[in-house]
Amino acid sequence: MTELIERAGAPAGSAPVELSMQQAINRALRVLLAEDPDTLVFGEDVGTLGGVFRVTDGLQKEFGDRRVFDTPLAESAIMGMAVGLAMNGWRPVPELQFDGFAYPAIDQIVNQVARMNYRTRGAAPMPITLRLPSFGGIQAPEHHGESLEALFAHTPGLKVAAPSDAGDAYTLLLQSVRSDDPVVFMEPKARYWDRRPVQLLEPTTPVGTSRIVRPGRHATLIAWGAMVHRCLQVAELAAEDGVDLEVLDLRWLKPIDAAGLAASVARTRRAVVVHEAPLTAGLGAEVATLVTENCFRDLAAPVQRVTGFDVPYPAGPLEPQYLPTIDRVLLAVQRTLEY
Amino acid sequence: MPTHEPEGRGSITVDHLPPDLTRTLYRHMRTARDLDAEAIALQRQGVFPAYVSVRGQEAAQVASAAALDPERDFVFPTYREMAAALAYGVEMVGYMATHRALWHGGLYDVMASRFGAINAVVGGPVPHAVGWAVGERLRGDDGVALAYFGDGASSEGDVHEAMNFAGVMAAPVVFFCQNNQWALSVPNHRQIAGGSVSARAEGYGMPGVLVDGNDAGAVYQATAEAVARARRGGGPTLIEALTYRVEPHSTSDDPTRYRDEADAERWRRRDPLDLLRAALIEAGHADEDALAEVDAAARERAEAIRDGVATAPEPDGSELFTHVFRETTDELIRQRRVWQEEVEL
Amino acid sequence: MAEDNTTFTLPDLGEGLVEATVLEWQVAVGDRVERNAPLVEVETTKSAVVIPSPTEGRVVTLHAEENEVVPVGAPLVTFAVTVSDDAPRAGIVGKVPTEEARPARRVRLKPPTD
Repeated sequence: MTELIERAGAPAGSAPVELSMQQAINRALRVLLAEDPDTLVFGEDVGTLGGVFRVTDGLQKEFGDRRVFDTPLAESAIMGMAVGLAMNGWRPVPELQFDGFAYPAIDQIVNQVARMNYRTRGAAPMPITLRLPSFGGIQAPEHHGESLEALFAHTPGLKVAAPSDAGDAYTLLLQSVRSDDPVVFMEPKARYWDRRPVQLLEPTTPVGTSRIVRPGRHATLIAWGAMVHRCLQVAELAAEDGVDLEVLDLRWLKPIDAAGLAASVARTRRAVVVHEAPLTAGLGAEVATLVTENCFRDLAAPVQRVTGFDVPYPAGPLEPQYLPTIDRVLLAVQRTLEY
Repeated sequence: MPTHEPEGRGSITVDHLPPDLTRTLYRHMRTARDLDAEAIALQRQGVFPAYVSVRGQEAAQVASAAALDPERDFVFPTYREMAAALAYGVEMVGYMATHRALWHGGLYDVMASRFGAINAVVGGPVPHAVGWAVGERLRGDDGVALAYFGDGASSEGDVHEAMNFAGVMAAPVVFFCQNNQWALSVPNHRQIAGGSVSARAEGYGMPGVLVDGNDAGAVYQATAEAVARARRGGGPTLIEALTYRVEPHSTSDDPTRYRDEADAERWRRRDPLDLLRAALIEAGHADEDALAEVDAAARERAEAIRDGVATAPEPDGSELFTHVFRETTDELIRQRRVWQEEVEL
Repeated sequence: MAEDNTTFTLPDLGEGLVEATVLEWQVAVGDRVERNAPLVEVETTKSAVVIPSPTEGRVVTLHAEENEVVPVGAPLVTFAVTVSDDAPRAGIVGKVPTEEARPARRVRLKPPTD
């Protein structure tokens, strides 16, 4: 891994390099630490160890233990410290080790990080990017497979990003950290190891821009994080049946690209939103509403949701039955086609 | 050495402090006392929806804030730090605006004042002080962060986490606990296991100091020592200033439901302002005539702040949307348009 | 270089076989084996075959006794294999998800007529 990261030391935007998402995020952090001396990376085990997923591997060695450092184990204080650092002119990039452990820090994230700019009428901006390994799919213990995007997206003052592949993780992280607003950056753990040729691109579109990762005619699958890959699998299979599916990677869960959603669904006339989080009050409801509000006359069928069930995130063997399966997505597509 | 026994001691002394400093402490405490009385009146006159009195805690607040350098240090307050804000030089009409509910965090510039936004999450801002202080060290600067919190907040997990972080990172922080003995309706003995907040410092590897919070000279001394230690790289200190909340928790509270007002009365008689006034005269730092002039000036300033906050304009409705983000979103622009078309009319 | 345990399960050795009988182990716990080295002779309803080792590594566990009937899909041998630092390594919890070359499906779609 280290060797590949070294090889990835080429200037951004050059020829593709083969990288896993872990390495691409590592690469982005290196760019960010190098370009802005005020950027700090900290959290549990991010320094000496290089992170439990090796995402921060080598950063402390390269940038020193003042820029990249381990903290004691206390999620709330990590986020509280980020607030104080931001008030002292730094650009904090804290990591909370796992999605489920963002809950102990919710007070600082919701009551402090998200509101400080507002509370101080712009005097104390919070250019904080919380890196949060998120979502399920790796058969981890409890609290290591949660999807908190609806909670964060519901919080005024936060922006939320969730990349789906290595290349976009690189670009989105650059954009998130450079933003002067607080961003929750949800890294899909299940895609960390996905290795592919990656073009390291600077962000060129505004915050809140989605992207079409596969164009199609018959319906739009809308997803983020690891579910984008699931939707691409579904689209491949659907093509065998003569059904041409478009896959839209939302990328930004707040702000949501309402115009991008509308443009796609206006063409395909059908939409299926797919997420890992439980159904009720999940972000799929927001997406479905935006599509319905903006494309009501174009829609040939009601927007379908394929999501996790309204149950606590299950243990290993049940995980594949909880996460949206290929068949469940296909069935939802079929419902929109037959409506 | 003060103890946690609520029996007040007799007189205090300011012999160890320079006269101009002690006169300044008195001026701020006097002004805060008058402003506090004006604020309670404004609540009763329907101008403030509610107010949280600092009466009886002026020495703890003013003397601790006066030990800081407003040019390079930074204060992280809760919601009951009016006297500290005043002593630290915060623009007070902007500060009092929070009590008129004009803007939650107050209308003063927190970064220019180096005095954080008023914060209603007890214990919440304490880790901010640690982060600020760590940032100060990372840059090689020598500023010190002071976090105010109360005996109730001492039960919060964030306060523990913050002290542990500060201890591990040797952060230049002064944790200043005003133990006013009441967390709304819950007294110390049902709040603080072991009976002492300052004793907890030992577990975090930092000095813990218990000080008579009604003794301005002692509070100043303890805080100045803690600030000096932090500034020279000696790490954090926990100060517990023992005082008493002689007023209700807020103007909406009825303390007769949970405490014997005779206790409050005894603490009212051990008034920090009276103690300091007597000590100033005793030390020869001021005479009655000079103090009468200070009293008059304080009265005048308190009234000016009162009038300022009572007549301050309400924020425009568009400000609902202004500071949510640095870079606003299309959706928020749309909602602002909804507000314009359907609310503002 | 680190080691990782991997368990080889009994494959379907003919079309639609459900089990096989272990005849003779040709390796023992602790042995280092090369890939394709003879691992075990098993008998199915169709034939007796020697299964070649699917990997290079050290034998950690033999999951069946000789003459035992093993269902298809059940663990046969656990190997400790060396993994290069370049290979995907799981984080502190969980597993590296495996990718099926062709994901399984049951549902077939009917293309829209419009």
